[in-house]
Amino acid sequence: MRQPGLKFLRVTGAAVVFAGLTAALVDFRGAVPPLVGQGLASVQFIPSAIALATGAGVALACLVILVVTLAVGRIYCSVLCPLGIFQDIVARLAGWVRRKKALLPYRPALTWVRQLFLWGGVAGMVAGGAGLTLSLLDPYSIYGRIASGLFRPAVTLGNNALVSLIRALGGESLYRVIPPWAGVAALAVPAAMLVLITGLAAWRGRLYCNTVCPVGTLLGLVSARSAWQLSLDPGVCRKCGDCLRDCKAQCIDLRSGTIDPSRCVACYNCLGACPEAGIRYRWTWRRRAAGTASPPKPAANLAAAAADPQRRAFIATAALTLTAVGAGRLLAAPVAGSNPSAKPGAKDAGPPTGSRRPNYSRAICPPGAVSVDRFLDTCTSCHLCVSACPTHVLQPAFLEYGFLGLLKPRLDYADAFCNFDCRRCAEVCPDGALGLLPLEQKQVTRIGVAELDVERCIVKTKGTDCAACSEHCPTKAVDTIPYGDNLRLPQVNQELCIGCGACEFACPSKPDKAITVAGQRRHDQAKRHLEEKARDPRRGNAFPF
Amino acid sequence: MNTRREFLKSGLAFGAAVSLAPWHRLAAATAPIAPATVDSARSVLVAVRDGSRSAMVDQALAALGGLGAWVKPGQTVCLKPNIGWDAPPERGANTHPELVGHLVRLCLGAGAKSVSVFDNTCDQWQLTYEHSGIEKAARDAGAHVVNGKDQSLYREVEIPGGVKLKRALVHTLFLDSDVLLNVPVLKHHSGTGMTAAMKNLMGAVWDRKFYHQNDLHQVIADFLTLRKPTLNILDAYHPMVRNGPRGKSVDDLVEMRTLLASADPVALDAAAAKLLGLDPAKVAYIKIADAMKLGTMDLSRVEIRRFSLA
Repeated sequence: MRQPGLKFLRVTGAAVVFAGLTAALVDFRGAVPPLVGQGLASVQFIPSAIALATGAGVALACLVILVVTLAVGRIYCSVLCPLGIFQDIVARLAGWVRRKKALLPYRPALTWVRQLFLWGGVAGMVAGGAGLTLSLLDPYSIYGRIASGLFRPAVTLGNNALVSLIRALGGESLYRVIPPWAGVAALAVPAAMLVLITGLAAWRGRLYCNTVCPVGTLLGLVSARSAWQLSLDPGVCRKCGDCLRDCKAQCIDLRSGTIDPSRCVACYNCLGACPEAGIRYRWTWRRRAAGTASPPKPAANLAAAAADPQRRAFIATAALTLTAVGAGRLLAAPVAGSNPSAKPGAKDAGPPTGSRRPNYSRAICPPGAVSVDRFLDTCTSCHLCVSACPTHVLQPAFLEYGFLGLLKPRLDYADAFCNFDCRRCAEVCPDGALGLLPLEQKQVTRIGVAELDVERCIVKTKGTDCAACSEHCPTKAVDTIPYGDNLRLPQVNQELCIGCGACEFACPSKPDKAITVAGQRRHDQAKRHLEEKARDPRRGNAFPF
Repeated sequence: MNTRREFLKSGLAFGAAVSLAPWHRLAAATAPIAPATVDSARSVLVAVRDGSRSAMVDQALAALGGLGAWVKPGQTVCLKPNIGWDAPPERGANTHPELVGHLVRLCLGAGAKSVSVFDNTCDQWQLTYEHSGIEKAARDAGAHVVNGKDQSLYREVEIPGGVKLKRALVHTLFLDSDVLLNVPVLKHHSGTGMTAAMKNLMGAVWDRKFYHQNDLHQVIADFLTLRKPTLNILDAYHPMVRNGPRGKSVDDLVEMRTLLASADPVALDAAAAKLLGLDPAKVAYIKIADAMKLGTMDLSRVEIRRFSLA
């Protein structure tokens, strides 16, 4: 059996996944087909689980991952999870910097910490912050935000330097791109995670995956009972410790001669490291079932004893969690009632406009989200859509959605607007938070409504023509009417408006825009204004001059 | 006291001056304007109808002395179409790619050193370049398609006759090319009434918002004092007669199968206004440009050469 070949397969698979996802996330010029990012993201555990739970798609990836983990261990963590692969790269680079491999000795599992994050996460979800909890803990989304928010601007700056170099040499391929920095606040979270993850990985390999990451913990619970497990052959092991130099999970215990299957991430480094070829995949289920028949090995005894406190911790944290959830739900109940969508006219005068609209949302979420509430619950803020958005109108939110909407993508009309004929965000969304609407439907999906303050309009304040808003409006919800001395004043037909923000973006009025889009908490449909074929304005067919 | 040394010195200096001076620039700046202004400063406008875009532009150029009268061998050409909106060619929101591609080929055929195409788009520029069909048509014909959203390619210049627009960041292709071909499309415009030759030049300026903030019509006319296009060629094959300048559907278009060409952008816009059923004097920027003597909107003083290819 050539089991060392497993490492080659692992590294190759990881390289493909990591390169593809990273390319999609740092893509600053729309060069990567949407299918690459969407495909690799939709086989991630949490996005796939959300898609399955919400019925957004036939997302079986999470089930396949569970089955594979039950068979051969945490291959997901080594081959599919970009955050895990990123940590491997960091650890490898750190080794090069140190000029020698760090010997990471066996450490017992931090079972309590692991369980705390797992069940804390479950508690957070049940208590009402599903979207925020998932987005903060899902390892794929953590990497997505780091790559989209930090790597992408860095790559863009590199591109621009390259463009300058090419131009200096007289060429003119490539082009300069404005670096897509998100707001400082929205960058702080990914930046902090980047520092934490890089530090932990350089220090102790997969420590993050085996203490903090709830997906790692969940899969660890499964892989602890997997059918095939890596194990030491007590007959040949000389306890030389060569395998320890290559184990990034610190899960090989030479004293007991065991490998902790819940923390082993199936990287297969140890297979090639063992000079005696004493580490191999072995079938464990039959042995366990027939455990009493074969003479009990001391190693197996130790493993059984070690499993006991783990089980105790598991039961204790589960019980604690369920209590916390119950309490949390009770506390959360009045908060849900004070939700702005349910606010009945507090102090009202005149027809509701802007922030006084019952359906108002300060932040605007993309078409296909259905409603802000559904979006906040299902989006994990992986920012694949933020990277893919060709106009960069999609930006990570800070507190625009409220605290529970931290980092969720929102449409920011300060420097861009939503392209009428584009659905790229929904095309790449891996978990159904953004449903892919048919283009005709997307073009009437109302995510907000334009409101014109005509007293601020240039046409009125300066008495000169402008109509930048109407010029940009794709549905002609903003049109112009004759005004004053041969001028054209904008006017809004809100029934036709879809809230794309083209008018707000284009409005040159300073310091405040004359036309702005008020977001909608629940999206609905705008009317489609159909017109007859235009008539020829000329009299007759000849030249009118 | 004329010594041989002095003679040699001054002779060599003169020779160096003659050989190093940018004479081709001088020729570029004056020669192409000549054919239109040569006969008593009367503007010439060519109007062609009922042919394909390529056939109509061939006819128009033939009536203007051939493209060779405007583009000399070795010159650099900047071709400025309207590439404003992310819409396919059949929606008429941009200059048709067939016309752009054909003109690029003609320029290169006339010996142009290079032809460059760009616009400062309203919609996202890559999508707009791609879906307008212009990027592919121009590239296939041999042109350089240049980014209009790269601020490092713009240079701040003074607008010599500007009333409202005194200084502006202008695309270097617009400033530095020997020949400037303005190739707009005819459309209704909700802000200015219409857009054709003069309004199309707005796409050579970085800050579009300045136009809207500071009397759109005056600024459009002001910019023409910086540099008049060598030649303006208007695509009026199927003008957008309402819901402009973006348009909603093909129903906004009327098929006129017409093409206009002139070195006088004011005369061309005046004729274009009439195609849309508008009185040129009611389109403020045309009236202002006429008053600033940047061209003539009085078509009775323009020599119009009419052709029908039907």
